[in-house]
Amino acid sequence: MAEMEETLDFNDILDDWFIESLKTYKDLHVYQLEHPTQVIEWTSGRTVCVAGYSSSKNEILELHLPLKLLADENKGLCAERDFKVVHGGFAEGPVCCLRHVPGTRCVVTNDGLSSDLQVWTVGGDDSDVIRRTGSVKGTRSVSAGGSRIAAPLSSQVLHGARSSDIQLTELTSGQSLYTLETDSAEPLSSLQFVSDAVFLAGGCNGDVYIADTRTSAAPQLCPGPASRGESVLWWTDASAGRVVRLSSSGRAVISDLRDLGEAVSAAQLDVQSRRCNLDDVRVSWAPALDDCIAVSGFSAAVQVYKTSVWSAERQDVRPLFEHRGHSVSSRSGDHVFATAHVWHPERPRTLLSAASDGSVHVWDWVDQSEL
Amino acid sequence: MPEIKVTPLGAGQDVGRSCILVSIGGKNIMLDCGMHMGYNDDRRFPDFSYITQNGRLTEFLDCVIISHFHLDHCGALPFMSEMVGYDGPIYMTHPTKAICPILLEDFRKITVDKKGETNFFTSQMIKDCMKKVVPLNLHQTVQVDDELEIKAYYAGHVLGAAMVQIKVGSESVVYTGDYNMTPDRHLGAAWIDKCRPDILISESTYATTIRDSKRCRERDFLKKVHESIERGGKVLIPVFALGRAQELCILLETFWERMNLKAPIYFSTGLTEKANHYYKLFITWTNQKIRKTFVQRNMFEFKHIKAFDRSYADNPGPMVVFATPGMLHAGQSLQIFKKWAGNEKNMVIMPGYCVQGTIGHKILNGQRKLEMEGRSTLDVKLQVEYMSFSAHADAKGIMQLIRMAEPRNMLLVHGEAVKMEFLKGKIEQEFSIDCHMPANGETATVTTNPSVPVDISLNLLKREMALGGPLPDPKRPRTMHGTLIMKENSLKLVSSEQALKELGLNEHQLRFTCRVQLQDPHSDPDTLNRIYTHLKSVLKGYTIQHLPDGTVMVESIVIKVSSSAEDTSTKVLLLSWSYQDEDLGSFLSTLLKKGLPSGLC
Repeated sequence: MAEMEETLDFNDILDDWFIESLKTYKDLHVYQLEHPTQVIEWTSGRTVCVAGYSSSKNEILELHLPLKLLADENKGLCAERDFKVVHGGFAEGPVCCLRHVPGTRCVVTNDGLSSDLQVWTVGGDDSDVIRRTGSVKGTRSVSAGGSRIAAPLSSQVLHGARSSDIQLTELTSGQSLYTLETDSAEPLSSLQFVSDAVFLAGGCNGDVYIADTRTSAAPQLCPGPASRGESVLWWTDASAGRVVRLSSSGRAVISDLRDLGEAVSAAQLDVQSRRCNLDDVRVSWAPALDDCIAVSGFSAAVQVYKTSVWSAERQDVRPLFEHRGHSVSSRSGDHVFATAHVWHPERPRTLLSAASDGSVHVWDWVDQSEL
Repeated sequence: MPEIKVTPLGAGQDVGRSCILVSIGGKNIMLDCGMHMGYNDDRRFPDFSYITQNGRLTEFLDCVIISHFHLDHCGALPFMSEMVGYDGPIYMTHPTKAICPILLEDFRKITVDKKGETNFFTSQMIKDCMKKVVPLNLHQTVQVDDELEIKAYYAGHVLGAAMVQIKVGSESVVYTGDYNMTPDRHLGAAWIDKCRPDILISESTYATTIRDSKRCRERDFLKKVHESIERGGKVLIPVFALGRAQELCILLETFWERMNLKAPIYFSTGLTEKANHYYKLFITWTNQKIRKTFVQRNMFEFKHIKAFDRSYADNPGPMVVFATPGMLHAGQSLQIFKKWAGNEKNMVIMPGYCVQGTIGHKILNGQRKLEMEGRSTLDVKLQVEYMSFSAHADAKGIMQLIRMAEPRNMLLVHGEAVKMEFLKGKIEQEFSIDCHMPANGETATVTTNPSVPVDISLNLLKREMALGGPLPDPKRPRTMHGTLIMKENSLKLVSSEQALKELGLNEHQLRFTCRVQLQDPHSDPDTLNRIYTHLKSVLKGYTIQHLPDGTVMVESIVIKVSSSAEDTSTKVLLLSWSYQDEDLGSFLSTLLKKGLPSGLC
């Protein structure tokens, strides 16, 4: 009897949230994958790749977004709400990082255990297979934790697990084109290009390195924000000249890319700080929405914050929007965590998020402050 | 090796119609007989020429099984049975039998009356076809004939939908039809036992889809209805009495209650009478919740939903109306549509597929100007929404079903094998079973390994055990000697002696003898010795004995040496063997005729 009551409560809460969602979301899609993913990567404007992270064999899938979401005119006449699995492949180990090489049908993955990368080719129209076509050796032969991967607009890949082993590798030849010269060996939490040749590497201690792959000059090092002795991890994201750094205690700092030493604004985010691993938390700037960041990994929620209202002194802030779908629709409640999120490259308020229970949500939220 | 053959009828890549032929244990079964809704000509019917070039199908088919009442699964049935010709049994569940003829008649009316087609089945043909139907109950084994049996399992999806197991001897096939693995508001989820069929047949589209949750589809429905009501518009929902009407009513009722909404909701009475009638008849096919509700009250008794009167359509202000028929092709729903189409605040929500030729089909294709009777045109200004609520399994669901049934082989129809290498690999890896993907018109052949149970006599068993050696087990079969007696339906393995006794026959032994002349100057015993040595070196691996009674035995073949009376160096070898050792005996006589090698001592 108690079990039935519990089921009723769960359904009631779920129903409540769905009713509430009528006003808080324009579009909402809820999917259940067979196995959870901690990567979501755009491979085109309409397709994403996801992959499993269990310790043994895992699937890499390329999914086509539902037609109804993509339809602009005549949206009402399209009833198609499902993901289509267009390509799939098998990885021997977990997939912790997955990056699409722009302008190609290649993706590069890392298993989070060593710094080697696997190279895959996603089939065309005539095949549904994602095939392993190569590998890239990391500089360390001893496993030192996973590598971060960044890909510029060509068939080169920038990768590394620590600041001491960042290198730029030509995919087809395997040739190393550039290596970052630095003394420190800080594990990296992020690696991205901020222009064609200039990249930013974020260490987990909050330090940020900026370097140019065309020169062998030493990188510019910007130490992380003072942490008052707490041992925290830091994640970094850069976009349009601004950099956000987020700590595992929920502290966020915004700086200008040209002057990282100065904090433009700071805030204490409304998150439950917990013991995090390097792969847990994601922070990203919205590509099509001014001054907005999305944060996930502290719990099952994905939050959107508007940074333009932050002040220079660190104050508590509330999110502009919180997506609670993963916790509400999971029967395990507290034990579910959001593993990944991505913004849609063009639609301002559309995001995809994934959680540890295998759920994947696609949501287009309503900015209540604009109503 | 015994095999099962499966052929999806149809041509090239076309999907959207189900008609599959299965040949198992000498029996031929047709699974579903659907109409392809995208074609206007004969291509909409399955291509029966695969079965026979001309003439009736009765002698070629042992039975036809229909999984559920959707037209892409049963739409061509009257054409097949009455126009091509089939007089054998047609199996389907009770609800399917009750609902099929209604849908077929509606479909016929639209196609013939509205579109003026001629090569189509008539109302009488539908009736004659349904007379051949034998209804099925869930989980009940039905003997089609002495050897062929079928059983229906609950599939969910729509009222009366079934998955079917077809069995001949120890070979079986399960066909899923359309099914879903998660229960919804009025139907349960598909279920099957660990029946371990040789082949599980399902749709490839399931395996490549990840479905949006039911709740999100419902949310979209509520959102659209709510938005229209809020702006003062009217919402028309054309439904088929046994489609989603009941489910959508429950949904709206709950929503109205929660949000304290005041706008009226109506359903046409024809709709409720029919729906109540059928749900009452087939209550066991719905889910737990519906059954509980029904026991308490009439299924269409709602607080916020009332019976419709046609005068209400002219009332001002917002309202929601459920009306039949579902494709806006006639009747009340079309009347209401005509009144409301001109106002852009209004909305029509189509919850299902609409057949070509209907207004529903036209507006879902974006048509905004419709030609009505009497050459008048209707401007479609209201908002048109197409929503799909049909419950289908997806990639996760198909894996769950395979885990439930544990088939030895998987077969997916309506996909392109060339493009499905990953999917095939996934199923093969996860379950260690083969995955077949025949193209339309192509036959997939699956070899089976049926086990044939045979009784073994105790004497024979004891004798085999007495021979020693390891005990037989499934991984190490042992060869044995016996006689198989097939009497009536039983198979029995006995010793040869017992078989002869049972048959009243005497056992005879056949022995061959042969004389071979040999030149050898030694004494008889020495010659015999030399023969023994020679054979031992040539016939390695055989049991060769030199016995004290003056003979050499090779297995059971006896060799004796004696001298010719005239000349002691001319030896006569006497070889004697039984019929069983015929080959070896012949070999030995040929060998010895060649003489003994000189190098022997």
